Amino acid sequence: MFIDIACAQLKKHKQNAFGDYFLSQRIPEENRLLAVLSDGLGSGIKASILAKMTATMLLRSIAKNIEIKKAAEIMLNSLPVCKVRGISYATFSVIDCDEDGNVSVVEEGNPDFLLLRGGRVQPIEHHEIVSKTQPDRKLRTYHFKTELGDRLIFCSDGVTQAGLGNNPAYPRGFGKDGLLAKLQDALTADQTMASGDLAKFIAQSAAQVEPHSQPKDDISACVVYFRNPREALIFTGPPYDQEKDTYYAILFAEFSGKKIICGGTTANIISRELDRPVVTEPGEQSGSLPPSASMPGVDLITEGILTLTRALEYLEKGQLEEKDAAGQLVALILQTDVLHFLLGAKINQAHYDPALPIEIEIRRNIVKKIAAILGSKYFKKVNIQCI
Amino acid sequence: MRPIEVEICLGTTCFVMGASALQNLQLPESLRAKVKISYVRCLHLCKNMDKFRKAPYARIDGEVIDEAAPEKIIQNITQKIKDIAHATN
Repeated sequence: MFIDIACAQLKKHKQNAFGDYFLSQRIPEENRLLAVLSDGLGSGIKASILAKMTATMLLRSIAKNIEIKKAAEIMLNSLPVCKVRGISYATFSVIDCDEDGNVSVVEEGNPDFLLLRGGRVQPIEHHEIVSKTQPDRKLRTYHFKTELGDRLIFCSDGVTQAGLGNNPAYPRGFGKDGLLAKLQDALTADQTMASGDLAKFIAQSAAQVEPHSQPKDDISACVVYFRNPREALIFTGPPYDQEKDTYYAILFAEFSGKKIICGGTTANIISRELDRPVVTEPGEQSGSLPPSASMPGVDLITEGILTLTRALEYLEKGQLEEKDAAGQLVALILQTDVLHFLLGAKINQAHYDPALPIEIEIRRNIVKKIAAILGSKYFKKVNIQCI
Repeated sequence: MRPIEVEICLGTTCFVMGASALQNLQLPESLRAKVKISYVRCLHLCKNMDKFRKAPYARIDGEVIDEAAPEKIIQNITQKIKDIAHATN
């Protein structure tokens, strides 16, 4: 199973910092995903720093395989308690799950998370651990196994308490019931909705319950969705050994997910080997990059180095709506969970001619950088096969 | 008369060396009906650096044009049309 995780946040009205913090990390070698959602007490900068501290410390602890219960207990004992309010500074939910569906959750202070299976809430058993030093602080721990299609919904109290005291339709706030009704609406309309879209939808729905849609508290919604991975293959660069062109062209043709070619020579090799024509049509979208092209059975064809370099730039800057060839490439990449690269090692000497007016990087480096940012910022899994 | 075939390379080297300006090549009115322009991913010329170090490249009826710029391409097309007219007369 692939774990599609995303979080959407809205700031408390008139604040300039998020008082909730979400942090996530994939550990590819263990097929494992960790995430922490923390809600700092109060709002603004103070809450933001405390939530960040809590989330970062917890994530590091569990990444180092300190048992989730123990890590949370350490946090609980070390978190300062607000002098004015007498309660602790930051609540948290810790998620530790793997692709076989084994999930551990520890919650302290955040609204209970929901497990959705087939559109319904599935009750889950939990254990309560009382902090030795602070008896009013209770950790809830859960261990369970998810199935394909399950979703976990985590949120900060900004979601469940939205509209509290201000909206006659929700006298006790948006609450779990309000949230569930909205979730069912969204999932009936689109059963396979991506986590990013659903998280955004939850945050917006909660905000809409507030007067003038102005959140009275920081709002965070995190969605974890266990589903079949959507895969894509990017073939870039000619294989080092020309004799293997046919083999890799067939491998490419037989791939079941989305197929992308980045590179003029690469496109020509595949065109030759599969006997399919490449058609290039410069249109208005081409801008300062060579235009995209098309070939039967291939989802996107672009030029190589320049386009990959620009795509990396878009991913780094979060410019995800561009229309040129690199923008199209980014859009396709973001629709997938697992991205495979067939990275041809052959180098075109002419690209390194000092007469060329711009800096052209080595393909291998660009792909490595793209893989790194996709893993760390966009939570994608990336495999690179050098050929 | 069959149209003159112009192929413009949009490979990386050609693109950065000036083919970006050939993406929407506008021909004079008088030539348009006589020419068919197509864009190709790569003409595979630049990798032979001993012979071809003058990107961008275009190919007009099979003839390789180096340092291709709109004026040079138009000039070559005009010449070809003249040659064809001359040969048929």
